[in-house]
Amino acid sequence: MKRISSLKISISGVRGIVGDSLTPQLAGALAQAFGTYVGGGPVIIGRDARPSGQMILQAVTAGLLASGCQPVDVGICPIPSFLFLVKDSKSSGGISVTASHNPKEWNGLKFISRDGLYLTPHQVEEFLDIYHQGDFAYAGPDRLKALRSESQPVEPHLKKLLGHFNADLIRRRKFKVALDCCNGAGAMLAPRLLQELGCETVVINAVPDGSFAHQSEPLPENIREICRTVVKSRADIGFVQDADADRLAIVNDKGHPIGEELTLALAAQYTLGKKKGSVVCNLSTTRAIDDIAAAKKAPVFRTKIGEINVVEKVLSAEPAAVIAGEGNGGVILPEIHPCRDSFAGMGLILEYLAASGRTISALQKRVPRYIMIKDKIEGSAEEGYRLVGLLKKRYEGEGRISLLDGLKIDFSDHWIHVRPSNTEPIIRIISEARTGDKARAALRRLKKEIAELKKKI
Amino acid sequence: MKLLKIGISGVRGIVGDSITPKLVMDFAAAFGTRVRSRAVLVGRDTRISGPLLHAAGLAALLSTGCDVLDLGVCPTPILQYMVPRLKAGGGISITAGHNDIQWNALSFINQDGMALNPFQGAEVLDIYHLGKFKKVSTDRLGRVRDVALYADEYFDGLRAFFNSEAIAKARPKVVIDACNGAGAPFLEPMARALGFELIPVNHEPNGYFPHDPEPRPRNAQQVVAVIKAVGADVGFLLNSDVSRVSCVTETGESLSEEFTFPLVAAEYLKDRCGPVVANLSTSRMIEDVTRDRGCPLVRTKVGQSYAIQALVQEEGVLAGEGSGGVALAGFQPAFDGFATMGAILQTMAARGRTISRLVGELPRYHIVKEKIYCPPSKVHSVVSEVKKFFRRHEIDESDGIRIEDKSGWVHVRTSSTEPMIRIIAEDKVKNKARERLDEVSAFIRVLVQ
Repeated sequence: MKRISSLKISISGVRGIVGDSLTPQLAGALAQAFGTYVGGGPVIIGRDARPSGQMILQAVTAGLLASGCQPVDVGICPIPSFLFLVKDSKSSGGISVTASHNPKEWNGLKFISRDGLYLTPHQVEEFLDIYHQGDFAYAGPDRLKALRSESQPVEPHLKKLLGHFNADLIRRRKFKVALDCCNGAGAMLAPRLLQELGCETVVINAVPDGSFAHQSEPLPENIREICRTVVKSRADIGFVQDADADRLAIVNDKGHPIGEELTLALAAQYTLGKKKGSVVCNLSTTRAIDDIAAAKKAPVFRTKIGEINVVEKVLSAEPAAVIAGEGNGGVILPEIHPCRDSFAGMGLILEYLAASGRTISALQKRVPRYIMIKDKIEGSAEEGYRLVGLLKKRYEGEGRISLLDGLKIDFSDHWIHVRPSNTEPIIRIISEARTGDKARAALRRLKKEIAELKKKI
Repeated sequence: MKLLKIGISGVRGIVGDSITPKLVMDFAAAFGTRVRSRAVLVGRDTRISGPLLHAAGLAALLSTGCDVLDLGVCPTPILQYMVPRLKAGGGISITAGHNDIQWNALSFINQDGMALNPFQGAEVLDIYHLGKFKKVSTDRLGRVRDVALYADEYFDGLRAFFNSEAIAKARPKVVIDACNGAGAPFLEPMARALGFELIPVNHEPNGYFPHDPEPRPRNAQQVVAVIKAVGADVGFLLNSDVSRVSCVTETGESLSEEFTFPLVAAEYLKDRCGPVVANLSTSRMIEDVTRDRGCPLVRTKVGQSYAIQALVQEEGVLAGEGSGGVALAGFQPAFDGFATMGAILQTMAARGRTISRLVGELPRYHIVKEKIYCPPSKVHSVVSEVKKFFRRHEIDESDGIRIEDKSGWVHVRTSSTEPMIRIIAEDKVKNKARERLDEVSAFIRVLVQ
């Protein structure tokens, strides 16, 4: 297997290893290119809790100042609040210093447009052209701006959230909520939001110090501690955020993780019960979404994998999307802001609990049950794309085929998805069915087909 | 043409033109590599571009594993004083001193709190040119720490060094023009430490310079006006990082910056005789003063780095230059405007004399200065050509071209900060100084065109 490059400059931003490829010089030049691209004005800058964040943020500050922009430093800030602030404060854009779920030796930059959204692939291309051409704006001393800092960056987002949900209804239930902030930026807002909603909270891993109490992927196996906390404190529900607080996993009142796919399913179930409109999610999101939407006669739009793809569809969907997201726990509530937002997810689920008067384990049972199995095999992107072509022929006529992103085939009672990774030399394979046996069988067949085809390539 | 000067004492240029984040990061990373991940003090003057250079410098230092002890807005001599006391590996002062607002610079300080000597400076330059900077992994990155109460430590030291009781007893009225530079926030603590009454001018550390931050008579109008209005005993002008001082007398005479060094030396050498260091462009006043006190004088190339190196090597007591920078070795081997002002105030108090009387005791020379802009590509060859003009004289070539006779001297050199040739001439007789300068200046102007 080829060694993974320690530097990735792609449509989703820049990631690299500190002490190796991600130098202050690189971060400074990228920030200056971005400042040139947005053409001056305030640019919100912030970071996740990684230890290298301070160093990279200083470099970004220097690059933005040099280009004539005014950096507005929000420090450690949850991503959804950050995106909301960019739009709410009418800034020219934003740069977030984060490497999401990569291990801690990594860090990176994500670039945000004035709408408070990640740059679209076309915008990234424009911006990277400036970076590669090296033709940066340089402000002389008469046009240099002063660095500003914003000490209350989550306030506009909190205000929006509290205005959106039926806070009185939630407060009356006096929920007890166990919360795991994963020692990430979520700790800056989640406890306050829950308190404002009248919840009694039991918070763990609430120090945003970058130590990542457990791996920052909120997968069920990472969630044991919060499960114990839910049981011990007899909480009504447990919430787990990822390190940058865009994704949400749920633990039920019995102390069992409900599975991250169900976060969006529950959010959709509740939202579609109240509002008419469409649902947007990516190709790999659980089929429970289709069942829930069908019951409400709501259309579902499926997109390529990647948050920006879901968001772009949200912005153009007709009828308008009332709920969107990804199966990894990323809930998008377009009325708040078109981005994955664990806080909006919490608000929705709590309001659902309050409005229905049921427990989370009872609500969970009302969502159609599917079993999803994820696996991966070694293989380059090149190999992956050739496999997709060959597999398509193998499965011809058996189900509904989509080539939107890799190969997805919907059968009557299950589906499979094969997709070369953009970031690693692996091919991701997923199957989902009503039962585990069925899902495993589908995946077994897929792997067998791939093994045979690989011999031919 | 880009204005950029890379030298042993640091890097200086115009922000948005030659001073870019990358250049600053590369130099700071080279410095961080040289100090091998020890802590580095960082301070800056008040220039608008300061935060840009500060952020770039911090990022690079942290990436080489250096902790940064962040002093914020801080005069260079205070940063220098704190480097050994905080046991740091060195310091970077972000300031372009006397240059106007569009300039900024990094100046490098070694672990002893002194300007890098020429050898240390060359090491940083080599690392910079090689481009091989130390890079540490996430776990070993430096951290930024603030330093509390460092000004107190500095001014306690200053108070103990001088006869502060005598100054406080006289309680002189002192007008100081910090030019809205790094000195402004530190003048009140200084006045409390030494016991004088401070009347500040241009006292907002906001980086808007009401005049060029160069202490010299043409920038002294405000101080002169205030001295007359309030009946002050003395006035001082500072550059943006308090490494240079010029004086204004109680009668409102704004003294050439050449007077600062001999004013300090005349009294200071009475108690502490030893070698004195001056550069080749410094007025002959210092020769007369040191001769009177029986102290040897050592002349060096122009630049703090050379002066301080000679001060240390010769175990000297005092170093200075005609631009108003003075280092009192007993306090610290650095051009220090606070110590310079302290020494002059102490002299006034101890001898009970006005500043105009003290100046009257100094020999008077006439010094004239001129600068001729010259493309960087030609500047060194032009200076070299000047040798032909002086072919009948004995030429001192240790820094440009200098010739000297009984009644005076003329010195032609390339500026270390800007693309120009500096000519300085001095003579007992005013017209003769002007003549010396005009002759060679006419010769150079022809060469430049």
